[in-house]
Amino acid sequence: MPGPVAMARESGMDMLLLARLTQFSDSTLPIGSFAFSQGLESAVQTEIVHDSDSLRQYVELLLRQSAHMDGIALLHAHRAAAVEDYSAVRVADSALWDRRIGEEQQLMLARMGKKFAELSLKIGNFPMLEQWLDDIKSGATPGCFPVGQAMALAHMGAREAEAFAVQHYGVSSMVLSAALRLMRIDHLDTQRILFATQERVKDHYLDVRDLALDEMSSFAPVFDVLVAHHTKTHLRLFMN
Amino acid sequence: MTGLHERLTQIDDARELSEFRAQQPAQMRAAGPGKIGELRLGFSLRDGRSVLHDLYRVAPLLVQQALYWDEAMPELPICSIISVGGGILQGDRYRLEINVEEGACAQVTSQGANRIHQMDANYASQHLEVNLGAGAYLEYVPDFTIPYRDSRYINETEIVIAEDATMLYSEMMMTGRKHHHSSERFGFDLLSMKVSARRPDGRRLFTDKVLIEKGNGTVDFTAVMRGFDAFANVVCLTPPENAARISARIDVNFPSSERRSISGVSMLPNKAGLMFRAVGVETYDVRAEVRRFWQAVREETRRRTLPEEFLWR
Repeated sequence: MPGPVAMARESGMDMLLLARLTQFSDSTLPIGSFAFSQGLESAVQTEIVHDSDSLRQYVELLLRQSAHMDGIALLHAHRAAAVEDYSAVRVADSALWDRRIGEEQQLMLARMGKKFAELSLKIGNFPMLEQWLDDIKSGATPGCFPVGQAMALAHMGAREAEAFAVQHYGVSSMVLSAALRLMRIDHLDTQRILFATQERVKDHYLDVRDLALDEMSSFAPVFDVLVAHHTKTHLRLFMN
Repeated sequence: MTGLHERLTQIDDARELSEFRAQQPAQMRAAGPGKIGELRLGFSLRDGRSVLHDLYRVAPLLVQQALYWDEAMPELPICSIISVGGGILQGDRYRLEINVEEGACAQVTSQGANRIHQMDANYASQHLEVNLGAGAYLEYVPDFTIPYRDSRYINETEIVIAEDATMLYSEMMMTGRKHHHSSERFGFDLLSMKVSARRPDGRRLFTDKVLIEKGNGTVDFTAVMRGFDAFANVVCLTPPENAARISARIDVNFPSSERRSISGVSMLPNKAGLMFRAVGVETYDVRAEVRRFWQAVREETRRRTLPEEFLWR
């Protein structure tokens, strides 16, 4: 006899949700993530990242950083969207934007947010994203990508931990896709790193789930300089 | 001073302090008499000259008077904050307020490195409030902060700045007393530093929070601090046209080998200005980078340069 969890997992809604979460996590989702390397291009040029071990460490750092910034905003936006409190979604959107330092980091956050909203509205029905996209276009809200993700995923019925996992996976897959084009590494190595770095997703979620928006924080001084480095690099493939 | 305890009390509620809150020092009581330092500095124009017109102080914080010793900017009143206690001790609560009125300029610095002493109970906190009127100019450039082993320090800065004012806000940190003992490097329990800025009408400009708690496994990652022991975050709040000129002048410093220091400048959100980041092996490596940025800020916003550094610095 299957247990209650297995029974629930066999229900049609869960299967549909899983399929849709897979679609929204797919690295081929056309929201422009291919143009961004999360500072990896500069990290490779300066040899901060030079092999698979240092790449794995870089991904681990990005995931921790992202959990303590974007992840917190995503959870707050998800909770707000789940109770249809759009003004609280906007608060999370501004809070994340006010903390994003570096023009290219800002560009990535806003461009992917807008493209994500446009794409979602082309393929499905997301009333709150419609309003959000209007507000982005009028300049009333910055349109941060994780906030858009939170609204769409909440609307599809994903729990906040699932939304967090989608965001977490997206960060690693973005930087590892960039790694294939930037350094001497093969697809098997990047998949191995992708698989391994997801192990901490629950720890990251538990670390930040009770934190207020005001508690978004970071500490990665060399990474912060890499962000500045990339802006002034002449020869480059990526937009950050 | 209005609002004194309210802001410090809010800091007391921070989650990262929960582990240390209940502990009372065996010495003087936390936040008791003699443990609450206060400082209020007010600068304004008097007959076309910037002066320190308001000074309120409670030990262990002390400012004596403004001096005009900057040879490259002789109109600049400079106040040096003196810590009577010889550093920050457990249970200390500091509140500072700096007001620079319309058209005035000022510099606030410190006597020497700000040492956060070893702690076995409670923590130390500081709240700094800064108000800059139209066209005002402030350099807040204290010396390095050195958190000793087992120390817990939380610091919050809130800046209210007019559209056309300029502020340089510098935080230079060491990872600990590296030459004293190897366990001092990131040996502190807590370092929490938050800075935020807004316009007088309430529009938010930016917030940046650095949080390092014991057990953060990433501090020695190559993209964090491996090989380095000092870092600086220097904020320059200034109108966008100034920010563009300063940014254009600051080349990224990221040598391909023998890296004594690295640095670069990034744009703050909401057209607030710039954030200069520097990382280095020793304090003097980072200080030299900060001075490079500071000089560009002065030259591009005040048409004054930075004098050579004193030999004893």
